[in-house]
Amino acid sequence: MVGYIIRRLLYIIPTIFGVAVLVFVLFTAAGEDPVRVALGQHATPQAIADLEALWGLDQPLWRQFISFLGQIVTFNYGESYFTGEVLSEAFASGALVSLSLTLPPFVFGLVLNIAIAMMIAYYRDTWIDRFSTATAVISMSFSYLVYIIAMQYFLAYEFEWFPINGYAPGWDALPYLALPWLIIILVSIGPDVRIYRTIFLNEMQANYVRTARAKGVSERSILFIHILKNAMIPILTFTIVAVPFLILGSFLMERFFSIPGLGDLMITAINNGDFPVLKGMTMYITMTYALFNLLTDLLIAAVDPRVKLH
Amino acid sequence: MIPSDGFVVYVALSEFMAVQRISIWQKAPQLVLSALLIATVAVPLGCRPRDGVGNTDVKVLDSYRGDVYRSLDPPKQFDAASSRIISHIYDPLLDYHYLKRPYELTPNLLESMPEIGEDKLTYTFKLRKGIKFHDDPCFSGGKGRELTADDVLFTIKRFADVNVNPQSYPALLQNRIKGLDEFREKTRQQKDLDYDQENIAGLEKVDEYTFKIVMIEPDPLLLMSFATNALSIVPKEAVEKYGRKLEHHAVGTGPFTLAKNPRKGVMVLKKNPNYHGTYPTEGDPDDQSQGLLTNAGEQLPFVDEVRIPLIEEAQPRMLKFLSGELDSIGIDRDNFTKMAEKVSNEFQLKGKFAKQFNISSVDALSSFYITINFRDKVFGQNKVLRQALAYALDTPAYIEKMENGRGHTLNTIVPLPIAGSEQSVSVQWYSHNLQKAKAKLKEAGYPEGKGLPPVVILYGSQDNITRQNHEFLRAQLAKSGIQLKGEFLSFSDYLGRKEGGSFQLASGGWRADYPDAENFYQLFYGPNKAPGPNDGSYQNPEFDRLYEQMRRMPAGSERNQIIEKMALLLKADVPVVFLKAPISVGMRQKWLLNSKPNLMLGSTAKFLDIDTEMKAEGLK
Repeated sequence: MVGYIIRRLLYIIPTIFGVAVLVFVLFTAAGEDPVRVALGQHATPQAIADLEALWGLDQPLWRQFISFLGQIVTFNYGESYFTGEVLSEAFASGALVSLSLTLPPFVFGLVLNIAIAMMIAYYRDTWIDRFSTATAVISMSFSYLVYIIAMQYFLAYEFEWFPINGYAPGWDALPYLALPWLIIILVSIGPDVRIYRTIFLNEMQANYVRTARAKGVSERSILFIHILKNAMIPILTFTIVAVPFLILGSFLMERFFSIPGLGDLMITAINNGDFPVLKGMTMYITMTYALFNLLTDLLIAAVDPRVKLH
Repeated sequence: MIPSDGFVVYVALSEFMAVQRISIWQKAPQLVLSALLIATVAVPLGCRPRDGVGNTDVKVLDSYRGDVYRSLDPPKQFDAASSRIISHIYDPLLDYHYLKRPYELTPNLLESMPEIGEDKLTYTFKLRKGIKFHDDPCFSGGKGRELTADDVLFTIKRFADVNVNPQSYPALLQNRIKGLDEFREKTRQQKDLDYDQENIAGLEKVDEYTFKIVMIEPDPLLLMSFATNALSIVPKEAVEKYGRKLEHHAVGTGPFTLAKNPRKGVMVLKKNPNYHGTYPTEGDPDDQSQGLLTNAGEQLPFVDEVRIPLIEEAQPRMLKFLSGELDSIGIDRDNFTKMAEKVSNEFQLKGKFAKQFNISSVDALSSFYITINFRDKVFGQNKVLRQALAYALDTPAYIEKMENGRGHTLNTIVPLPIAGSEQSVSVQWYSHNLQKAKAKLKEAGYPEGKGLPPVVILYGSQDNITRQNHEFLRAQLAKSGIQLKGEFLSFSDYLGRKEGGSFQLASGGWRADYPDAENFYQLFYGPNKAPGPNDGSYQNPEFDRLYEQMRRMPAGSERNQIIEKMALLLKADVPVVFLKAPISVGMRQKWLLNSKPNLMLGSTAKFLDIDTEMKAEGLK
């Protein structure tokens, strides 16, 4: 097991290097030129040169790349070109805010969607199943943006149940987060329930279920003990790889509700060609994604004795 | 109570579990669901935060910002969001009159406008006595000290330091003050110069409140640089104490102090009780009747607090305004047709909006046009073809259909509120005429457009509005036989292509850096050819001669005559085709008093007042 973990961790290094090359080439060759964006129209060549020197963009590309690799190793991505923020601080505070936005509805949604999927699977081929599946498909057909715009308009503005937007630190954030949570949960129901339902239905047709029924095990025991446990393996995979994206937040949600998380930081950086932020965020996503993939494999091995890691 | 899918599912799930008689441990999901649903839904119900409701003791101005600011350090700001916040907290030497139009410079930190010496090169500035910086720990005892001439000289030197300000120096002070460019070069070689040890020929302290600036050549427009927020006065102590943190901290002499400054979220500014400014005592002819002089001569500011949340998206901004949580807002294109209309050249709000809010409109300080590249083989040498293009465009229809009427056609490049615009010169631009367009096209060698390859126009944006505008232009030009093709680029690629001269036509615009015609005519001055401001590399020696003459002259009829000649030359040569001068339309709450849009001031908050009782009532 330990050897497996070390081997997997070593595999991450070439992956990160590959992504670093890709990110550097993409943002250097194809992205917005941050100096031109900052200076706007009719900047003098001297002003361009001065700002390039200030941001280190006058250095040869290979030296800029080496410096980028140094940042990846030290987790120090410097400062934002545009706001002068220290990025390690901005990432840390932004990640916490993003988590406060996405984690509660993620956990709640997970429990809720598993429960709904179990119910639908239990009543497979009945009107409940057909109605729920149709509702899930319809709800998936609407863009995320439609949910945000409609619910912000009706629930916050028309009915005045929630603040229209805004954010406050600590517990004061609760009223501001409630509507985004509700939207995230609602949006997750359609796709998640469909996947979980399929997983449960597959398990229900498995030989061990037939054997259990033949032994006279009650339906509720089959459902909650046998099927639920086995179905948790794919659900676990599905769930854990989503965790890095929780920290990243929900881009649109943060934008519409003025929540100062990482998603909004990323959008602003894309608009401005803020290379340090984009580099840092992309590498951060890569690393957490790789680590959580590893974590998924370890957890699957822990919950499923049939899986052996070598 | 909560008609959501989640609630329906919750009920169904409870029923299911009840029917199945599931034991307590198996009810865990149900219990979790209950707790979370209560937390999600019940907590916020009935406790929607609406600051200021019922509070008539504190005057709060509810404003907003659409973008994150980049820096609150005046010489480092180069964006509208930063400039706006800075103008609440810092003061430049000069300012623009709040009420008078065309925009007029007024003394701000000065006793009077600077005196110009007989040599036309030396300006003497006298500071008002008793102006104090905000209280801040950077000062001895935490009490703000008095502003002196040393602060101004320190600010100018710091503004010229390339290590502090790589951005705005070329546009505002380069080639203007004796010895300052040399000082800037020195800072390029040597960082952390002690400014006190650096003597600059064009900067001279006379006494604690008086200083002189000596220019390289006569330049009446220099004073406008001293009305920009980038040249607001910063105390040396704050720079020494806070260093780079000054980008997020602020110590000025302005009407408000920075109380809360989250990068995002709600920025809060508090009234500076020691502010030196007073409300203007005179204005435009209609200002008295509109109640804009009610507070004439009174101490500024009137509000106790300004709240500035960051709201980046248009929908929540508008919803917050409609619910009374913002005091004013601009109306965007999507909302305009629903909320307002243009009746006989006047903008009016519709239906319920008219009852609830006031409308305001103001001519923006910008022009939009299509630049024609004189280095292009097809257009560069074919004046008649360029004229055909000017006749082919129906700009009134463009403004009506694409902008809901929110704009003017242009007869010269200078927008209306600016000195030297068509209000003071007599020039008529091309009117849309399809017959003449076709005749000119034929004369240019392309009858019915035959033989003319598709014309490519560059755009510096890839959004839907840009594409819709392009479709309109394409359809219009097609009527006369000109095939138009759009290239939609990222902003930096667009700038690169323009500066490299690699384009035929380019959609463009210019917003006034300062309210003078010179700022627009420099876009056609030969030596400014690309990569300079003259994107199309238009060359006309006569135009250049007139421009050089005009830029050194004070405002007046003689100068306007020269501007008229320049405008006529542009009409004949057609280096650009005008599209529009925009009009900004906005709404404001009825409780907002003294409101008159002023686009040269970063913020008008210090002049605004709130009827707190009406506001408290409106928010209930």
